[in-house]
Amino acid sequence: MKQRHIAHYIILLLVSLIIVFPLYLMFVMAFKDSKEILGSRYLLPSLSPTFDNFIRIFQAASFGIYLVNTIIVVTGILVLQLVMIIPAAYVFARFPSRISGFLFILYVIQIMLPLEALIIPNYRIMNAFGLINTRVAMILPFVGSGYCAFLLRQAFKQIPRSLEDAAVIDGCGHFGLLRNVFIPLSKPTITVFSMISVATHWNDYLWPLIITDSNIVRTLTIGLGMFVQHESGADWGMLMAATVFITLPIILLFLILQHTFLESFLTSGIKG
Amino acid sequence: MKKRDPRIFLFLLPSFIFLSIFTYYPIFDAVGLSFHRYGAFNPKPIFQGLKNYIDFFKDPIFWQIILNNVLFGLGTILPTMIMALIFAILINEVRSLRTFFRLSLFYPMLIPYAAAAMVWVFIYDPSLGPINLILKLLKLKPIGWLGDSRYSLIAIIIMTVWKNLGYYMLIFLAGLQNIPRDLYEAATVEGTNWSQKHWHITIPLVGPSTLFVFVVSVIQSFKVFTQIYLMTEGGPGYSSNVLIYRTYEYGFKFWQLGRASTLTTLMIMILLFLVLIVFGVWGRKITYQAA
Repeated sequence: MKQRHIAHYIILLLVSLIIVFPLYLMFVMAFKDSKEILGSRYLLPSLSPTFDNFIRIFQAASFGIYLVNTIIVVTGILVLQLVMIIPAAYVFARFPSRISGFLFILYVIQIMLPLEALIIPNYRIMNAFGLINTRVAMILPFVGSGYCAFLLRQAFKQIPRSLEDAAVIDGCGHFGLLRNVFIPLSKPTITVFSMISVATHWNDYLWPLIITDSNIVRTLTIGLGMFVQHESGADWGMLMAATVFITLPIILLFLILQHTFLESFLTSGIKG
Repeated sequence: MKKRDPRIFLFLLPSFIFLSIFTYYPIFDAVGLSFHRYGAFNPKPIFQGLKNYIDFFKDPIFWQIILNNVLFGLGTILPTMIMALIFAILINEVRSLRTFFRLSLFYPMLIPYAAAAMVWVFIYDPSLGPINLILKLLKLKPIGWLGDSRYSLIAIIIMTVWKNLGYYMLIFLAGLQNIPRDLYEAATVEGTNWSQKHWHITIPLVGPSTLFVFVVSVIQSFKVFTQIYLMTEGGPGYSSNVLIYRTYEYGFKFWQLGRASTLTTLMIMILLFLVLIVFGVWGRKITYQAA
């Protein structure tokens, strides 16, 4: 028994090291000047770390604006998703009928028809609305989230009816029920969904790539891609500094919410 | 509260409008345009029947791209799921360092693909990259990775496995929590060894939900774009080109929106076929819950 656990630890440590290595590389390179990167110990942590790369990326590209845009887009998507889907999930969970059952299936199918597959028609729609090159265009297609409806319906269904009945006797209408019973009791699911939504849309690339054509509205991921194409010759220090810059906020957010996220994920049965 | 109050559907209406405009209307739009010649040089759509489809089916590049999609899908999902299950079992059985292992496996999930692509371009760099450095130390021939048509797709696959492993590990870890402990204790009393124990208990019990995760992953694998756009641009040649990337090229590089819609329609057909499988596997449960 004991021996096996030693084998467990050796395997897991080895795997963890391999998986962490790219992150290590990202941070180590971001603090090196170009001379050090061409030197012989370029894979090891710098002896004289420098913040120069971070200053230079802000001079070379509008990463500040990209950050603000990303935050606007990601928050806009999440808020609208919750506002739109919470009432819908309430209907799916508590008012089952043929029609709501059929509509629910349409929401579930949407999970499996990613926007990435539908960029051409969606581009035409945004063009018709005159929304090309706007932040709104980066938000709207993600608002009707089938995944959110699926998760919240599961969570709402698990809430005991007795709580609801008590609230109804106290004079709660639909909105009161949502505010006082359903939303507070589904907090773990809402947290996990929010985390997944933010991480997913922080990561969005293809849709913002085709829908934007100016720096004023671009997001971080697109900014990074442009930056690579415009900087001729690989200045790895600067590239990695930019990479760290677009990654750090999401990692920090996760570390803050890590405990809630992992516990909810492992207990609430949210599985893909 | 009356059950049959039709006004309750007003709660569904806002999100359903979004769903209709950005998911369901686009399907009809793409199907309609797929029969037309339409693009930057033909601003008015001209109906031409099945010509776009026939042209694609005759085009060897199209078939290579389909093959790449299949290879990418299976090449990422199978290894990811197998490794994720093994690591989930291992993590579940150790006492200390659990959080460290969970975090170090999971964090790549949070890194945007654009950022991950940058780091991996460096890792695959023929001269500076650590992988070739190790190959050289082992006296093996260095590999051109992203610049070599034999390896470009494999390179993208490895990077994608690294990125998704932790997510699947968490899914399995959650599944493992539902297996009653006494099953394992009984097996230990019976004198079965570690691998027998998991082969006969863990895999059959985690298996059914795994099938569902597998099909959904196949669907998700069609979304691959960012790493290909930033790491290989579908090349060299067409060696790492996939359906979405090709659609992007037709739509926004060649500006042939008719043909891009044909590819979109084909992709929708493939996805809806997979959706049917999902419903076949899981459907009864979903419809049962919905009704």
